[in-house]
Amino acid sequence: MASVNCIECEGEIPLEEDVMAGEILQCPHCGSELEVVSLDPVKLDLAPEVQEDWGE
Amino acid sequence: MEPLSLLRKMVEIESHSGQEKNVAQFIVKTMQELGFEAHIDSAGNAIGYLQSEPNPTEDIILLGHMDTVPGHVLVREEEGKLYGRGSVDAKGPLATFIAAASQIKPAPGKRLVVIGAVEEEVTSSKGARQVAKDYKPAYCIIGEPSGFNGVTLGYKGALQVHYTLTQGMSHTAGPASSVGEIAIEWWKKVQNYCEEFNQEKKALFDQLLPTIRSINTSSDGLEDKAHIIAGFRLPLNFSQEDFLEKLSSLAPDAKIECFGYEPAYRGNRSNPLVRAFMKSFLQSQLRPIFKVKTGTSDMNVVGPVWNCPIVAYGPGDSDLDHTPHEHIEIKEYHKAIDILKEALNQLCR
Repeated sequence: MASVNCIECEGEIPLEEDVMAGEILQCPHCGSELEVVSLDPVKLDLAPEVQEDWGE
Repeated sequence: MEPLSLLRKMVEIESHSGQEKNVAQFIVKTMQELGFEAHIDSAGNAIGYLQSEPNPTEDIILLGHMDTVPGHVLVREEEGKLYGRGSVDAKGPLATFIAAASQIKPAPGKRLVVIGAVEEEVTSSKGARQVAKDYKPAYCIIGEPSGFNGVTLGYKGALQVHYTLTQGMSHTAGPASSVGEIAIEWWKKVQNYCEEFNQEKKALFDQLLPTIRSINTSSDGLEDKAHIIAGFRLPLNFSQEDFLEKLSSLAPDAKIECFGYEPAYRGNRSNPLVRAFMKSFLQSQLRPIFKVKTGTSDMNVVGPVWNCPIVAYGPGDSDLDHTPHEHIEIKEYHKAIDILKEALNQLCR
C-alpha cells in the first residue's frame, strides 16, 4: 500500500488506492488532520480550519 | 412524487413537536410509493427501508426530523425560494434524504434506512432515543441544514439548569437582601465562572456559553421565591456532575436541578462516510466546507451510542432556523439531492 509522511510528525500515513486531491487524512501517529493538495506526487498540507456556525 | 412537491407538501402539513402524526402518515405513504418498505414505529417515527435482498448486514441511516418549532410561516414560492416553517429546519434535509435515497439500489447486504424522527425540537428527543436503541448502523447522516456545499461534523452539548431560592418574607425596608437580588448575585458568579472557563479558548465550540431563559420572583405572603431557568451550551468532554457541584457551591441556600443534558459530539473528517461526500463534492467541482455548530441535534443523542462515522447534511441556511422568514433556495435543494445521491452511491456499493 502506498503511503506518505505526515508533515507534522513525519509518521507514515497509508493511502487508499483511489486517494483524491482535497481529501482529508488523519495522521495515525499524531492525530493531525491533513489535506491532500496534489496527487503526483502526493503532497499534504494542514487541513483547512473547521468553521463555526450558529444553530442546528 | 417530484422532489419539490414532496417538500412543499411536507411543509404544508403542520407538525409541531408531539403533533407529527399527520406528516408521518404522509411520509410513510410517499416512501411506499417511491419503493421503500415503510412504517411508523412505536415512538411515532416514520421509517423507510431500501434493500435489494433480505437479511442485510449493514445499515446506512439517514436520520432527519419531522417536527418543527411553533410559528406559522405562510407556505409560498417566491423568487426561487420556498417559504414555510420547517423548510430549513429540517423538512428540507429530510425531503432531500427521501428524494436522494429513492434513486439508490443498495448492494446486497446493505440497507438504507430513512427516518423522520419525532420531538427533535424539544428536550425529550423521543424519536432519536428510540432509534438509538433499535439500530446499530455502520454510517449515519443526520438531516440538518449544513448548506448544499457543507458538512457538519459536530454539535455543542446542552444543559438546562433550574435555580430555586425560597426564604421567609421580610419587610422591604429591612436590611435583608431580597430573593431576586440574591438570585441575580448567583447569576453574576455563574457568568464569572464561565468567563474564567473560556479564557484562552478562542473557538465557540470549546466554550461554555450561558444564557438566562427566564427569571421570576413570587410571594405567597409567607415565603418569597426566586426561580431562574438557565441554558448552557457545552464544550466536548464536559463533566455535568462537576458543573452541578460548582453551581451548587455558588448558591448554598438554593436548590439547583439539571434537565435535558446532551453531551457535545464531534466526528472526524477521515472516514469512509466523509470520503463518500468528498468524492461527490469533487465530482461537482465543489470544495466542501466543514462546520461545527453551536446548537444541538439528534447527533448528540445517537452519536455517543452508535459510535460510527457520522455527519449532518442538508440544504439550507441554519441562520433561518426558527425565524419568521424561514425559507430554502429551491436550486440549492435540488443540488443537495444530487450531492447526497452520489455520496450514497459510494456508500451503497
